[in-house]
Amino acid sequence: MTNPEQLSSHGRRLLDRRCFIGSAGLSTAGLALASLLDGDGLLADDPQTVSGKSPIRPEIDPNNPYASRKSHFETPAKQVLVIYLPGAVSHVDTFDYKPDLIKLHGQKPPGLPEVTFEGPTGNIAKPFWEFKPRGETGKMVSELLPNLAKQVDDFCFFHSLSTDTSAHPQGENFMNTGFTMEGFPSFGSWVTYALGTENKELPAFVAINDPRGLARSGKNNFGNGFLPAAFQGTDFNAKNPPNNLKRPDSLTAKADRKTIDLLTRLNAKHMEKFPGDSSLAGRIASYELAGKMQTSVPDVMELAGETKATLEHYGVEGGSELRGQYARNCILARRLIEKGVRVVQLFNGSDPSGGNGITNWDSHSNILKTHSMQAEIMDQPTAALIADLKQRGLLENTLVVWATEFGRMPFLQSNGTGRDHNPNAFTCFLTGAGVKRGFSFGESDEFGFRAAVDKTSVYDFNATLLHLMGLDHERLTYYHNGLERRLTNVHGHVVKQVLA
Amino acid sequence: MFINEFKIDSSVRLLLPIVIMLWALAAGTGLVSAQEIDFKRDVMPILEERCLDCHGEDEQESGLRLDLRAKMLRGGDSGLPAMVPGKPEKSYLIEVIKHLDEDFKMPPDEDQLPKDEIEVLTRWIMQGAVWPGQMDAVAKEESSHWAFQPVVRPNVPTTPNSNTDDQHSWSHSTIDSFLLKRLASEGLTYSAPADPRLLIRRLSIVLTGLPPTPEETARFLRDYKKGANKAYTALVDRLLDSPHFGERWGQHWLDVIRWAETNGSEANLYRKNAWVYRDYVVRSLNEDKPYDQFVKEQIAGDSMGVGEATGFLVAGPHVPAATVGREPAAIRQARADRMDEIMQTLGASVMGVTIGCARCHNHKFDPITIQDYYAMTAVFQDVEFGSRHPEYSLNHPLRQRGTKLRNQIEALRKELRKLGGWEEDWGAYRELHFKQVTTKAIRIRFKMNNVGLDELEVLGPNEHNKNIASSSRNVKVSGYPLKGTDGRHPIQRVNDNKYGTMAWRAKVDKKGNKRPWVGFEFETLEVINRLRLSSNREYFYGTDYLEKRPFLPRYEYDMEIFTKDGKWQPWIGTWFVNKKLNEKYSHRKKIVTEIQRLIGLLSEEGPRPSFVGRFVRPELTRVLLRGSPESPRDEVMPAGPAIFGGDLGLTSNDGGATRRATFAKWVADSNHPLTARVMVNRLWHHVFGGGIVPTTSDFGKAGAAPTHPDLLDWMAAEFVEPTASNQRPWSIKSMIRMLVISGAFRQSSAPNPKGLKIDAGSALLWRFPPKRNEAEVIRDAILQASGSLDKTVGGRGYRIHNVKKTYAQWEVVDNHGAETWRRMLYQERMRRVDDRMFTAFDFPDCGQVRAKRPVSTTPLQALNLMNSAFVLEQSKRIADRAQRDSPGDQSEAVKRCFGLLLGRMPDKEELDACLSLAREESLSLVARAIINSNEFAFLP
Repeated sequence: MTNPEQLSSHGRRLLDRRCFIGSAGLSTAGLALASLLDGDGLLADDPQTVSGKSPIRPEIDPNNPYASRKSHFETPAKQVLVIYLPGAVSHVDTFDYKPDLIKLHGQKPPGLPEVTFEGPTGNIAKPFWEFKPRGETGKMVSELLPNLAKQVDDFCFFHSLSTDTSAHPQGENFMNTGFTMEGFPSFGSWVTYALGTENKELPAFVAINDPRGLARSGKNNFGNGFLPAAFQGTDFNAKNPPNNLKRPDSLTAKADRKTIDLLTRLNAKHMEKFPGDSSLAGRIASYELAGKMQTSVPDVMELAGETKATLEHYGVEGGSELRGQYARNCILARRLIEKGVRVVQLFNGSDPSGGNGITNWDSHSNILKTHSMQAEIMDQPTAALIADLKQRGLLENTLVVWATEFGRMPFLQSNGTGRDHNPNAFTCFLTGAGVKRGFSFGESDEFGFRAAVDKTSVYDFNATLLHLMGLDHERLTYYHNGLERRLTNVHGHVVKQVLA
Repeated sequence: MFINEFKIDSSVRLLLPIVIMLWALAAGTGLVSAQEIDFKRDVMPILEERCLDCHGEDEQESGLRLDLRAKMLRGGDSGLPAMVPGKPEKSYLIEVIKHLDEDFKMPPDEDQLPKDEIEVLTRWIMQGAVWPGQMDAVAKEESSHWAFQPVVRPNVPTTPNSNTDDQHSWSHSTIDSFLLKRLASEGLTYSAPADPRLLIRRLSIVLTGLPPTPEETARFLRDYKKGANKAYTALVDRLLDSPHFGERWGQHWLDVIRWAETNGSEANLYRKNAWVYRDYVVRSLNEDKPYDQFVKEQIAGDSMGVGEATGFLVAGPHVPAATVGREPAAIRQARADRMDEIMQTLGASVMGVTIGCARCHNHKFDPITIQDYYAMTAVFQDVEFGSRHPEYSLNHPLRQRGTKLRNQIEALRKELRKLGGWEEDWGAYRELHFKQVTTKAIRIRFKMNNVGLDELEVLGPNEHNKNIASSSRNVKVSGYPLKGTDGRHPIQRVNDNKYGTMAWRAKVDKKGNKRPWVGFEFETLEVINRLRLSSNREYFYGTDYLEKRPFLPRYEYDMEIFTKDGKWQPWIGTWFVNKKLNEKYSHRKKIVTEIQRLIGLLSEEGPRPSFVGRFVRPELTRVLLRGSPESPRDEVMPAGPAIFGGDLGLTSNDGGATRRATFAKWVADSNHPLTARVMVNRLWHHVFGGGIVPTTSDFGKAGAAPTHPDLLDWMAAEFVEPTASNQRPWSIKSMIRMLVISGAFRQSSAPNPKGLKIDAGSALLWRFPPKRNEAEVIRDAILQASGSLDKTVGGRGYRIHNVKKTYAQWEVVDNHGAETWRRMLYQERMRRVDDRMFTAFDFPDCGQVRAKRPVSTTPLQALNLMNSAFVLEQSKRIADRAQRDSPGDQSEAVKRCFGLLLGRMPDKEELDACLSLAREESLSLVARAIINSNEFAFLP
């Protein structure tokens, strides 16, 4: 009988593609044909993207989908952390300073529409928080985000973003999948599909969801759409491990081990009848990876080894309970980046109600209270996370994205106490690998109502993110239902001005 | 018919320029003052200087050429003609050089052309765009692409090794002749016949999605020994006749059209009774409904007695009005998006063309124009996402069941009528029955202070289900409070024939002595015997499983009638029927309860409003420039794509049902170049794991070329016009039978070095290509092995999710309990929700068309299959079953586990290894290991 130990090491070697080619005695040409004929690869002789550029479809071995793959060109960023803020953060109350709003406070907005997403337009409202110059650049940032404000010299702002929708789920879809419609692969899954991962013991793409639950677009934000399921984000946070990760309580470690040994034997015997069949070998390897994850994921989730100073810095204690939980998620994000996880997507906001009675940044009413609550949760831990990454040198190779789906109106909603959705202008920022520091790109008009200078679409934004990861957004494609699909559909220009 | 239409179409096109020229000349004479423009002298220099660098012979930005008159007439990718002779205002060229559209100006990034140049071009077009030497040229849409040509039945090749002895008779179908010829050209041939034990497993899974039981395997092996061919064909026929065939193949169809039971989008609301469409698909496949009819019904079933079949049209996701917002542009965009979902469904499933690519501009690869796209949306202009009462013919099973239940209810009502009135709860409304009476007016006096009614209907014995109180019958409505609460909810809403949130709301002071009431005065004397009250019937019909459902209140009220002598007389009241009468007649309550039970059954098993689309009045359809509803252009008539001869002779005056029925007839015509090809290829894909055309939903130029073009065409021809005796045209079962009877299907899946080297993906079928089973197969097989599987076919699906708030995400509450032990086809298909178990196995999120599922291997699959409560519980049940079947004999119990899960016995080594685990720990761990094994997971 096959010695399980031997098979185990063989299985491990299967993870290394070159080694497998050697052991199975196949030529590389044969393998290329294999992957070509296997599934969607068998296409027209000379496929073209709509832009006319030839696509670069990463060669995925379906049985080792996470193998590390080369980027299209060299860039500093090897990993990416996306901090996503569902609900739409008010740009005019945070980073986009508009003194005209103070001047015109309480007046009818000149030349602006009568009706927006939720109803009639109210009067202009000055920022709910005072703005002050910050850092050496003197960037104006409001009092709402005192901790992030301290780091503006490191940030690269996009002030002229505009989107195609003023509804949250479509807006989240657009930011995170490049389409307003349902069912498209997320940014994280595109990057994972393109680049695979370095760390073989942790998932390539982790989605750290808000302690309160998933955002409005749910799984879409980190889903694989029509890409293979291997590229979806694995959903866990500092509190909840991935589904079914833990050995069931009803089993002892010994019993579990013995089941795995038996499984290994059964698979080895079965494999004898299918020599050289890579899909069987690949499945054996996936069980070994799962076994490793059972140790590596709890390890990375374990925050006990973090110093008291770190915990304080992130604000684990001393704030609201939600801030504490979000702060733990931020520490987890850093630990994942440290371990070389390719994509980490960290959410600050959810959909279902819970916590303080608010769930995200969607402040249609009482923005003073609700944005304050959100900011209390988000500001200190996020600022600490970015500072911590910087201090550990991780920003050298990590791109950090701080993003939301649209902005909020410069006027009140129906003269109430909140601001309605504003798809015409909003602000996001980047920092880290490959990005200019202390820089602001684009401007909205004098009210912050509409993108005015260097208008930037969501396609442009996503094209730029891919570029920073060393990927050509026009060439990174996946054939689906008649098209070489891209994150940026048929649009998007890289914003070269923000590149360091 | 097809080809003829196409010919007519082309001849019209040839005539067109001449007509235009004559007309243009005539128009030209009317211009007195204008100086005659000379093309060579005045126009050509402008074009050369300003345009041809990007739109000339060498480069055609946006697919536009301006150096040829014909190409100018055709226009570029935008789909708009650059120039319409005599009509500068309809010429896109003029529009863009005049910078009328801020976002689209030509030349790009430059100042506008000098005024006089614009003037010259405008006048040139006005004068008929005379272009010497090119006046007869016409840009014809044509395509030599293989899939757009008519199917011509190819000759069947002679088999290279035409061995006719019995030994090889398993590999002698026509299909084999094509396949073997191609293999021989690569120096390959079929592998040895598959082991019969594996063969029955493969066949059972491919045809029914369920592996064979140990007993079925044993019987087949016995028969196979006696006569392999006979045993095999008998097995094929038995499995094709199985009610589980339709479930398996229905699942494939639902994947393609991404059918699901929620909307997707923010609230992701449940689509109530959408599952009647799923049952329709399963039933149609089980009945072997001819494919052309299957297609027609799904497009126009409302006029064919199978209304629920139109669930097909609204299979895709949509954003409900509440989430779209109130901006008019957003509302128009959302409607255009919904139309696009319909186009995608149709294009991907039936037509095999990515029609959606022509939404914003002419198709980049295929000869499908933006006009074609919008002409096709015109066909479906009457379709809207929502619920309706599906139209059922008399012999429809749902209607028959409904009639039976209604008859039972009616019989019980007869009993009750003798005892006075009673009340029924129909979910959407309450119905009060009473002794019939003739009256000119009625008054309903409520006893509570807070009432909300979207409709209050009065019914009689003479007109079945006709609302006698409807405002359309000149009924005068009166009451208190007339304008409703806050003066904003007028009483007219109780008889305006509209269900939904627009209700009469009457809240009066609780302490006061005035209570709300409604009065109806009829035009003539009416006979009445029922009242129907509802608060929000639309919502009840539309969705379900929400915490805050509109509440159907039990109102207490009395009704008065108006006597001949002009007096109000009390006639019936809720308190009286629900309390007093029960006290009087002891057996009455039992009958009422039984009626209520039957109503419950009816709403589950009979015809009910279902999410299979609703119909609206079709609006005029226009081409939307660059896909934007804010840029409507020329009107288009309902039609299929011109390249396929899609002129249907329809106009904007034709009704929606006519449009769809005409289109359905056209697309399901036996001469359509795509419909049969696309379907036989799809069937092939699901039998062999990959299509002859690997891109199963794209037969256009961007799709993959067929590996066996002749075979594909032979099958397409055979599909619509079978030569084999006793075969019906368009029979899906006959086609599948042909595929699984072939030698290609019956050969071994074991690899060999030569085959792997030349064709590692096994696309040429030198072996049967093994692959990991789908999520459904794995789950169903586990349940079958443990003896837990409830094999009931059809009906409402099982739920694994919670009842949620409107704007919240669905959460999995129980994905493994006993009530989920049905086939996974019946797990409610929820868009973009992770079922925390099988979604990891490439189960589609139903957002985009999934013509084929990717097969990926991930550690999350391993974790789910090792550690989930589902697998642990089922492992235990399998072990318990094995032990029950072999009491006291652990060795036999292990063997039974192998039989149940793998359909075979363990060898000695396996047995020993399993026994030691069973003895040291437990037999259920043996079952757990086998469930996770490659042998269990793969189609052999």
